[in-house]
Amino acid sequence: MQDLLSVVTLGSIYLLFALGMSLTWGTIDILNFSHGSIFMFSVFSGYLILEHTTLPFVPVLLIGIAVGAVMSLLVQVLAFEQIIRRARDKRTAEMQVLIGGIGIAIIPLAIAQHNTHSVPFGLRESSFTVHTWQVGDLRITNIAVITIVLAAILWAAMAFWLRRSRQGLALRAIGVDTEVASLMGVHRRRLALATMAVSGGLAGLAGILFTFGLGAITAESGDTLLVKAFACIILGGVGSMRGVAFGAYVLAACEVWVLTQTSGSWVEAVSFGLIFLVLLVRPTGVFGRKEVRRT
Amino acid sequence: MSWYDTNLVLIQASITGLLLALSIQVPLRMGVFSFAGVGAYGIGCYAGAVLVLDHEMTALPTILITTVLGAVVVLIVGLLINRLNGLTLAMATVAFDLIISVVAINGGETTGGATGRYGVITDFTMTHMWTFLVVVLVLVALSERGKIGRRVDAVRDDPELAASVGIRVRRYRLVAFTVSGALGACAGAMNILVRSAVTPLDIGFHLIVLALTMIIVGGSLSWKGAVIGAVVFTWLPDVLQVIGEWQELVYGVIVAFAAVLMPRGIYGLYVQGKLAVLRRRRAGSSEVRAAMAAEEARESGDDGPHVESTMAEAAHRGDEPMGAKL
Repeated sequence: MQDLLSVVTLGSIYLLFALGMSLTWGTIDILNFSHGSIFMFSVFSGYLILEHTTLPFVPVLLIGIAVGAVMSLLVQVLAFEQIIRRARDKRTAEMQVLIGGIGIAIIPLAIAQHNTHSVPFGLRESSFTVHTWQVGDLRITNIAVITIVLAAILWAAMAFWLRRSRQGLALRAIGVDTEVASLMGVHRRRLALATMAVSGGLAGLAGILFTFGLGAITAESGDTLLVKAFACIILGGVGSMRGVAFGAYVLAACEVWVLTQTSGSWVEAVSFGLIFLVLLVRPTGVFGRKEVRRT
Repeated sequence: MSWYDTNLVLIQASITGLLLALSIQVPLRMGVFSFAGVGAYGIGCYAGAVLVLDHEMTALPTILITTVLGAVVVLIVGLLINRLNGLTLAMATVAFDLIISVVAINGGETTGGATGRYGVITDFTMTHMWTFLVVVLVLVALSERGKIGRRVDAVRDDPELAASVGIRVRRYRLVAFTVSGALGACAGAMNILVRSAVTPLDIGFHLIVLALTMIIVGGSLSWKGAVIGAVVFTWLPDVLQVIGEWQELVYGVIVAFAAVLMPRGIYGLYVQGKLAVLRRRRAGSSEVRAAMAAEEARESGDDGPHVESTMAEAAHRGDEPMGAKL
C-alpha cells in the first residue's frame, strides 16, 4: 500500500512535468529540450527569493509558475520562432529546435550551478511545513496530497479544454496540419505563445511541488526529469492526454518496483528501457494517434 | 618543447572528437537522425579497456576488433529501429546510449562500476592515430563526391524519389548505421588508448550534446564542418579559461546562437560567402549568372521549387475540408 502511494505521488510529479512537454510536442511540434532547465530555474528563483523573505505556500507556487511561464515565452520568442522562420522544411526545423533547446538549457543550468556550487538547494525558508499524517498503516504527507490532487485537476482541465473548447480544437488542428489550420483562420502565433506559457507554468508548478516534497534538488535534476518525461510521452503516444497520464503512472510504477526489487542503480535504466521497448513494439505509443499520411 | 608536444592532449582530443562527430554526421547526411554512434563510442571505450587489460592485446588489433564490434552492435540496433524516423529515431538511439552508460555502471568486474577502468597502456602512437584519421577522412570525403555523393543526397532529401529511381534506401540507411557504429567505436577505442582510463561519467548524455553541437556549429553537410566543430569545441574551453567559471554559460550561448542564426554552421557560412564573392566577380556574364543561380539553389536546398510545391500541396489538401464545409 505504501508503495502504491509512492507510485501515485511520483507519477503525479512526472505527469505535471510531462504534460507541458507533451502539449507543445503534440500540437505546435516543439520538442522543448529546455523544459528541464525551466523546471529547475523556477525552483531556483523561489530559493533566491526565500533567502530574503518568508512567504506562504501559495505565493511561492505562483512565483514558480510565473517564472516558468515567462522563461518559456522568452525561449519561444527569442529562439524557436526565429528557428522556424528560417528553416526550410519541417524536418530541419524540428532538429534545429532540438539543438537550440539543448543550447538554451545550458544557460540557466550554468547560472544555477555557479550560484549554488552544485550543492542541492531547497525551499526551506517558506512558512509552509510538511506534515505527515498517519492513516492506518499509511504515512502520507500534505504535500503529496496537494501534488496528487493538483495533478489530477490540471490534467483533467487540460484534457477537457483540448477536447471541448474552440482554442483546443484550433490547437489540435495545428497539430494535424499547420497550413490547413492557418487557411481555416487559426491564429498560429498567438496559440503557440499561449501553449508555451502554459507548458512553462506547468514546469514551474511541478518544480515547486517536487522540491517541497523532496526537500531539495540540484541544478542537474531538470535533466534527469527530462529523460523521464520523454519516456512518459513516448510510452503513451505523442500528443495524447490519456497517453501522458498512462505513461507517467506506468513509469512511476516500474521505477518503484525496480527500486524495491534491486539495489537502486538500475532505476535509471527503467525509463530508457521503456522508451526503447515501446518504440520497438509500438512506435506511436499505447494511445498514439495514427500518423497522418500526406501524399 | 614544440607547440605540437605541448598541445598533444588537445590534438588527441580533437581527433577523437572529430571521429565521434563524424559518427553522427554520416548518418545525418543520409537523413538518419541517429545518436547510436555515441553508444558505440561507449562500447569502444570499454571494449578497448577490456581487450587490453584482460586479454593483453596490442593497440592495432584492439582498435580493429572494437571497430568491428561497434559496427555490428549498431547495425543490429539499426535493424531493430529501422522503421522509425525523425525525432522518434533520435530518441530511441538516445535511449540506447543511456542504457549503455547504465550497463557500464552496473557491469561489475568487467566495467569496473562507478570507478571505471584505468591503466590502459599500450604501444599506441600518434602515427597510428594520424593514419586512422587520414584513412577515415578520405573515405568520408569520397562518399560526398560523385555518384555516391549524389545518391546519398537523394536518400536524404527525398527517400521516396530515390527509391523510385532504383536506389535501395533501406540498404543505405543500414550502411549509415554500420558506418556510424564503426566510427564511434573507433573513436572510443582511440580515446581509451590515449587517455588510459574511462568512467561511466565519460560516456553520459553530455557526450551526445557535445557531438551534436560540434556538427551543428561546424556544419552538418560536409566532413569539413565536422572538422571545424571538433576543433572549435575541443579548444574553446582552453581559450575560455580567461572567462573562468562562466565558460559553461558562454558555451550554451554559442550553441543557442549557432542553432538560431547559422542553421548550416560555420562551413555553411563559408560556402555562402564564397558564392557571394563569385557572383559579384562574374556579374557581367549572364550565362555564368544563370549557372550561379542554379548552384545557389542547390546549396540552399532548392528553396524556390520547394515553396511552390508546398503551396500546391497545401492548396490541394485544403480542397477537401473546404469542399466538405460548403
